[in-house]
Amino acid sequence: MRNIISVRTMSDGRASQIIHHTFIMLKNYFKIAFRNLLKHKGYAAINITGLAIGIASCLLLFLVVRYEMSYDKTQPNYKNLYHVVTQNKYADRTNYTSGIPNPALEALRLQMPNTKFTALNSLYGAQVSVVNNSGGADKKFIEDSGMFFCEPTFFELFSYTWLNGSPAALKEPNTVVLTKKYAEKYFGNWKDAVNKMLLMDNFVPLKVTAILDDVPANTDFPLGALVSYETVKKYGDHYNFNATEWGTTSSNYQIFALLPASMTQAEGDRQLLEFSKKNYTGRNDKSEKINFLQPLKDVHFDKRFETFGDHVTERSTLLTLSLIGLFIIIMACINFINLSTAQAVGRSKEIGMRKVLGSSRKQLFLQVMGETGLIVLIAGILAIIIAMLCLPYIKHIVSIQENLSLFNAQTLVFGLLTGAVVTLFAGLYPSLILSGFKPIMALKNRITSAKVGGISLRRGLVVTQFVISQVLIVGTIVAVMQMNFVHNADLGFNKEAVLLMSTNADSSVIQQYGAFREKLLQTPGVVNVSFNADEPSSDNNWSSNFAFDHKDDEPYPVSLKFADENYFKTFGLEFIAGRPFEKSDSVREIVINETLLKKLNLKKPEDALSKDIRIGGAPWKKIVGVVKDFKTNSLRDAINPILIIQNSNFYGKTAIKISSSNLAQTQSAIENTWNSFYPSYAYKTAFMDTKINDFYKQENQLSLLYKIFAALAVFISSLGLFGLVSFMAVQKTKEVGIRKVLGASERNIVYLFSKEFTVLILISFVIAAPLAWYMMNGWLQNFQYRIQLGAGVFLIAILISIMIAWITVGYKAIKAAVANPVKSLRTE
Amino acid sequence: MIQLQHISKWVTQGGSRIFLLKDINLEIQEGQFISIMGPSGSGKSTLLNVIGMLDQPDEGDYNFMGQEVFKLKEKQRSAIYKSHIGFVFQAYHLIDELTVYENIETPLLYQDVKQSERKALVADMLDKFNIVGKKDLFPSQLSGGQQQLVGIARALIASPKLILADEPTGNLNSKQGEEIMELFKQLNDEGVTIIQATHSEKNAAYGSRTIHMLDARIEL
Repeated sequence: MRNIISVRTMSDGRASQIIHHTFIMLKNYFKIAFRNLLKHKGYAAINITGLAIGIASCLLLFLVVRYEMSYDKTQPNYKNLYHVVTQNKYADRTNYTSGIPNPALEALRLQMPNTKFTALNSLYGAQVSVVNNSGGADKKFIEDSGMFFCEPTFFELFSYTWLNGSPAALKEPNTVVLTKKYAEKYFGNWKDAVNKMLLMDNFVPLKVTAILDDVPANTDFPLGALVSYETVKKYGDHYNFNATEWGTTSSNYQIFALLPASMTQAEGDRQLLEFSKKNYTGRNDKSEKINFLQPLKDVHFDKRFETFGDHVTERSTLLTLSLIGLFIIIMACINFINLSTAQAVGRSKEIGMRKVLGSSRKQLFLQVMGETGLIVLIAGILAIIIAMLCLPYIKHIVSIQENLSLFNAQTLVFGLLTGAVVTLFAGLYPSLILSGFKPIMALKNRITSAKVGGISLRRGLVVTQFVISQVLIVGTIVAVMQMNFVHNADLGFNKEAVLLMSTNADSSVIQQYGAFREKLLQTPGVVNVSFNADEPSSDNNWSSNFAFDHKDDEPYPVSLKFADENYFKTFGLEFIAGRPFEKSDSVREIVINETLLKKLNLKKPEDALSKDIRIGGAPWKKIVGVVKDFKTNSLRDAINPILIIQNSNFYGKTAIKISSSNLAQTQSAIENTWNSFYPSYAYKTAFMDTKINDFYKQENQLSLLYKIFAALAVFISSLGLFGLVSFMAVQKTKEVGIRKVLGASERNIVYLFSKEFTVLILISFVIAAPLAWYMMNGWLQNFQYRIQLGAGVFLIAILISIMIAWITVGYKAIKAAVANPVKSLRTE
Repeated sequence: MIQLQHISKWVTQGGSRIFLLKDINLEIQEGQFISIMGPSGSGKSTLLNVIGMLDQPDEGDYNFMGQEVFKLKEKQRSAIYKSHIGFVFQAYHLIDELTVYENIETPLLYQDVKQSERKALVADMLDKFNIVGKKDLFPSQLSGGQQQLVGIARALIASPKLILADEPTGNLNSKQGEEIMELFKQLNDEGVTIIQATHSEKNAAYGSRTIHMLDARIEL
């Protein structure tokens, strides 16, 4: 290096000579490095495999983290855009939601004239029919996401590319703007789409007035079809829009704000607090409601608030991913350091000779670093291949549907940086050790592993590896156990073989429900049919204030499930007192759950029967039954107090209990029945147990992630262990020979090898156990219903580690133990 | 004590046999001090290894204290040599990672001797060889002669009936060598049977009987 730097001060001829000389030296180093690799194929393979896996993991995890961090960053107003969110403080808890009452939009504009506001109202599950020339529907789609009611002002805050038209296209009612993808889905070619007609929910005609370019996948605003805001005002009754109703919020209705450059978030929050005091005070004395700002940069990472995107990733999850990547690569580096220092003794002669021949310490240092670099380079190339092969499967461990690409500037820089850091981290210590050998000692072969030192360092590094792999093993066991617990938990109702159909609950549909049910019940395989607004366990939460037994309103809200009298049988809900309500067209009777019973401080279920209860300001109704508690949400949350009431206006779902034989046949019969009753309505179903499984998508992903990376960690540490033991076996050949001559049995020898590693595992367990406990206990706190983190988990983890270590060590140890001592002790 | 009959050992190289031992017949009585002499490669070490049951011949019978050694199972065989035979090597072959004390103690560990008894036995041995002061040193901190003393102490710790010594003084200077030989003589007087392989006439003279080997055979 010094040679190259000093070149500048010298004449050209001398400089080129030195460059030439340096080149020859480099060539020599590379040759030696390459031959060294070939000579120690086994160790090289272990190093390269470990490093390649480590670097590949890092690359993939980097892609994921980078992707998650990139959400909506391309918005030009990214820094000044905010989500207006709501905090609802009750006596016993605080609720957060992205939902805002409908009239808030205009009120905000009046109160904060310098800030730009816009509302976005999502339409989950709307039906879109493509109208043909004769007025009928050719194609029907149920849009689970991507449809919004949207103001033209939305585009003053958010920026998108217009392929055709402008924001003015959303000024009138009954207009819709489509993205290219949606236009192609409906009409084949987006260029033909403008001025074509669509029918929404079978009664709202929509004219396509403009086309937007497709939005990227990394956005929480997955725009597809934007219906003008005037449309929701016009059909407010059907879409639960009421410009004067301050009491209702829905997370489908959200407001975004663009603060002027001069206004800080704190100032915005202050003005919102003023706004909240003015508009919410006195409307509901049971809770204190305020609005505040959530920066756009937090939207993708804050689980408290609903977004329009398909998932929210907590920053802690991204941290976990980054840490796992870091861990894996550290483990691979540790293997490298351990094997290199262990090998150092064997190389002492070469180093001694080089020193005698005039090599400086610096040159030797660079030589060893160069060898490390070569190994990292080979590993890096392998890593890219591994990463490319794994990339298509990454969507199983994270919620990324888009195909990620390895080849972009950021990833390239990251890859090079990783390579450089790994080279430095892995190569530094071995280089220092090797280049520091005293030539005479080295040549006389007087350098032993004890003199090289680093035995305690090596032990420390091995302990570090075991700690990492044990933490990951515990993580895996806990995640798998919790997820098993979740999947097998008694939900309090029967989730098996219940088919759920979403319907648009308009009056024409509801009118035919009776006949539809009769027809379904005649289908072989159909056991029961219930119309309702919501299945027992769901993400939806429709809640209201209520009063019991002619007293004042209770200080907490109650969740509402609207359902018909067949709901209980269809889902197998059990009564602990009373009976289901009787069939009726109007709400007269009410069923409550056990949790509500307890919250009302009633001792016996029977005490609730015949008492009156009132929702909001509605008339008093009679409680006729109490059902045993069932899980009203995912197992993350506690059971809500529940009222089950009839109200056919809200029955958007049909639940069909079917017998599990001839499933396919029954399903197609159901579809035929549907199509004959509701030809203009799209048919869409899902099984209850699948839906429940979807609650835990992220947890399942995390559990899979743990499984994969624990396996990798165990694999890498086993590789390292195997390398170390093979090395130890060579080094201990003589000692094993002596011991055998002195009467040691093969078992004694195997014990000699495994003893040290067993002790190291035990030491690392002492460090890993509390770490893992802390980590996984924290994770389990996400679940209201969770497994107990007992000693068993840790016992299994340490048994697994010891077993794997023994198997790894065993082969080499047994080989060493059965070797004939006469051979290893021969002196001549 | 030892009867070897028609012992042969060979390796096959290029289709022809190269003999390491050829038709060895030898009888050794308890209490003898035997010196095996011969040039390098004549088969001295191989013969010692066969007697020490570390190596097996391809042919022949071996009777050790009334037992047909090659008819025994591996386990029984190792039980015999564990309790009856001690080895001394030219290169000492001490375990570098263990102290003098621990080196001497090792054979007892493999014979399941109780700790208190081990302590007493090792202490006796240290005393006998005058190396009590060195018991906590590592082999690398000792001179060659001292290392060989430890090697012999280790060979003797389990009170073997037979000591097999392969060039025990080969790495020592003459004064150290003499001391070791004196020690062997003394042990022999106490009743230990000794078989040593050596290059040196002088050392061979300590023995009660000398066997000459050449080209895998015993010269009569």
